[in-house]
Amino acid sequence: MSLDIRPTLSALLRNRTGAVLVAAQVAIALAVLANATYIIVQRLETIHRPTGIDENNILVVESAGFTPRFNQTASVQEDLAYLRAAPGVIAATATNSIPLSNGGNNDSLVTRPGTARHGYINDIEVDEQGLDTLGVRLIAGRNFRHQEIQPALTRNDAAHFVPVIIVSRALGEYLFPQQNPLGKQVWDAFDHPATIIGVVDPVMGAFPASDHPERVFFLPRMPDEFIVVRYLVRTQPGERDTVARLIESHLASSNPDRVLNFVRPLSYFKNLSYLGDSSMELYLVTVTALVIAVTSLGVFALATFNVSTRTKQIGTRRAVGARRRDVVQYFMVENGLITSAGVLAGCGLALAAGYWLSVRYALPRLELYYLVGGVVLLWAIGQLAAWQPARRAASVQPSVATRSV
Amino acid sequence: MFGYYLRLALRSFARNRGITVLMVLAIALGIAVCVMTLTVYHAMSGNPIWWKNDRLYAVTMDNWDPNHPLNPKTDLPPPEMTYKDTQFLLRSTIPLRKVVMYSTEGVISDAGAVRPMEVATRVTTADFFAMFEVPFLYGNGWSASADQPAQPLIVLSRAENERLFGGANSVGRTLRWNDHEFRVIGVLDDWFPRPRYYDLNGGAFVLPDAAYIPYGWGSELQLFNKEENDCWRPEKLDTFKDYEASDCVWQQMWVELPDAASRERFQSLMDGYWVEQRKAGRFPRPKNNRLTNVSQWLRDNQVVANDNRVLVGLAFAFLALCLLNTVGLLLAKFLNGAAVTGIRRALGASRRQIFAQLLIEVAIVSLLGALLGLALAALGLIAVHHLYAAAHLGERGGYQELMHFDAVGVVWAVILAFVATLAAGFYPAWRIGRLSPAVYLKSQ
Repeated sequence: MSLDIRPTLSALLRNRTGAVLVAAQVAIALAVLANATYIIVQRLETIHRPTGIDENNILVVESAGFTPRFNQTASVQEDLAYLRAAPGVIAATATNSIPLSNGGNNDSLVTRPGTARHGYINDIEVDEQGLDTLGVRLIAGRNFRHQEIQPALTRNDAAHFVPVIIVSRALGEYLFPQQNPLGKQVWDAFDHPATIIGVVDPVMGAFPASDHPERVFFLPRMPDEFIVVRYLVRTQPGERDTVARLIESHLASSNPDRVLNFVRPLSYFKNLSYLGDSSMELYLVTVTALVIAVTSLGVFALATFNVSTRTKQIGTRRAVGARRRDVVQYFMVENGLITSAGVLAGCGLALAAGYWLSVRYALPRLELYYLVGGVVLLWAIGQLAAWQPARRAASVQPSVATRSV
Repeated sequence: MFGYYLRLALRSFARNRGITVLMVLAIALGIAVCVMTLTVYHAMSGNPIWWKNDRLYAVTMDNWDPNHPLNPKTDLPPPEMTYKDTQFLLRSTIPLRKVVMYSTEGVISDAGAVRPMEVATRVTTADFFAMFEVPFLYGNGWSASADQPAQPLIVLSRAENERLFGGANSVGRTLRWNDHEFRVIGVLDDWFPRPRYYDLNGGAFVLPDAAYIPYGWGSELQLFNKEENDCWRPEKLDTFKDYEASDCVWQQMWVELPDAASRERFQSLMDGYWVEQRKAGRFPRPKNNRLTNVSQWLRDNQVVANDNRVLVGLAFAFLALCLLNTVGLLLAKFLNGAAVTGIRRALGASRRQIFAQLLIEVAIVSLLGALLGLALAALGLIAVHHLYAAAHLGERGGYQELMHFDAVGVVWAVILAFVATLAAGFYPAWRIGRLSPAVYLKSQ
């Protein structure tokens, strides 16, 4: 079967403007489509990186003492005892920072005392229930014991370290490349030593936006008294919100010397951390959908127009022996030629835009799969949009040729 | 003549209803996306105190690690200063106004019948309100003498006054802040600088603090900065006094220098201090003492995320797509009506008249498209607003504030819409006007 490309092409070249306009639309659409999809996929990957944390069943409680009568140590003990006994609670810990919230503490760790330090490492204070509360998995070593939990740092005694820590696998690999970190010693900013007694994996710390959110270590210590006290509470699946209401009503009035700032699901903080990424994703998905819609309308409108202005010619072709199939094929081939020219130009445009984005905004270079996908999609859209007008062209009666107007 | 062309245009719309609707829709969508993106971008990239751009300066000095700059890529000094350096510079009489401040948190209790609540509180020197031109609803700020020794005075934001006192004039009322008695001296009017340029720690689009207290309370009550405390070297920080004597940065400093001469004098004061301190073993890095105006400050701190620039580019690509679409549809429509145009030409209409008539048709389409586009953009912004609100992101209310239209932005958007579409319609109108009438009369 011949596609009769040559006559179709020469007819096209005689009446270029409309075709050029549609091809230009296809080109822009391809550039937008390929790059936008690529960015969307990257953002989705970022948002859905494994955190190792039971995100959906954890509550964050924040309390702030504000009178001289407030005794933080006693308050924490009382609160933890209440939280751990509350129905629906699996485990609870006091902590200094909220995981995945992009806010928290950093320390520097080195593997030899007195050596130069660079970069910070996220640290999270927990007690013996900390790992269970987060739901992170210990892949080597052991958990903290109750008697290992150190008292809180205070305003008059702020330079203590802890005897033992638990590190993430990623941090272990960073500090001790190709070695087993278990049992090794590390030194903090004041050259106080600590021994690594456990390794967890996977886990994400408090700073999802940092370059290495997976480098994190846990300190067995009560939260310091410079900031408010936070509790993490892990509940039975599905009971998070019930537990939240229960503990909120209790803690709000259990101690008049402090205020309960909030009881919120951990997912609230995660969503806030990824607000930029999820807004970008929503925007890109919307615009991409609009681009596809507008482009298909453009192709459809031109094809319709071409059919309606050529009714007489179609009739003539039918009268001299063309079958309906030939007419349909003619319009489909014409559309294919236009779309092909468009995607060809669009490939150049998409690569140029991708290159510019990678240089100017430090986004990764466009992967070619996305370009190929975009080409196939636009081709399919073009053919689909041309199908209905082509069918209508085929229904033109040969007798039209003999009538004037 | 205009009225006649208008009638012709309306008739032509009635004849080609589908295609007219498509054109208006295409333009409207392009405009809507552009206006939404530009509104957000404009709000993010604005300088909320542009009229003071040659007077307000952020003060920064590089006291960081000799081996590792804080910002390896830009070599900018830390955005905040140490306590001891701000204390020295605060004594200078060169600046017209000077502000040292940071944000902390405190529990407000015993105010009316409201239950105690912890609120963001700014510890600041007295010039804050005059320097950043903060509007007052009731009362005023404190005088510089109330900073040191610290007097128990507090300024509330309008929203906080609403919460505590139901919006009444609360000047003179007392409340407890972290269990110390304070007297309300002023209540701010609505004030949402976007971005919150004067302190970018904790986010550029967060709301201003709920309360403000004199600077001296920082040392008195041992108040830490709740957003950013950064130390480059291990120091023994056993007490708050140790912290104040340390090389940790946590205080934000701004000065108002009315002219170039005072600016130079202040710069040489900083540089002289730097030399002196260096002799004592501080400031191990190369000299990097900066006075940064607001617009440069916003650029240095990358307030406008790259994402937003990408989105603006994308929005214009989409607008281009929509306009191309419209040109195609207009061309199709005009060619379809070419026979009528041919008759009119044959009956004596000049090319210019045909052109004018078609352009009026285009203008109507573009106007409709632009109006619909603006309406869609408004709906879109409202939807975004609700989306943020629904996600319980009230704390970051600053993002919601971004979603408001600003009048100038709308005017620009209308002009953009109108000009873009007229330009798009120019070619089809011109092309049809140039057709030889004979061709179309013949085929009749």
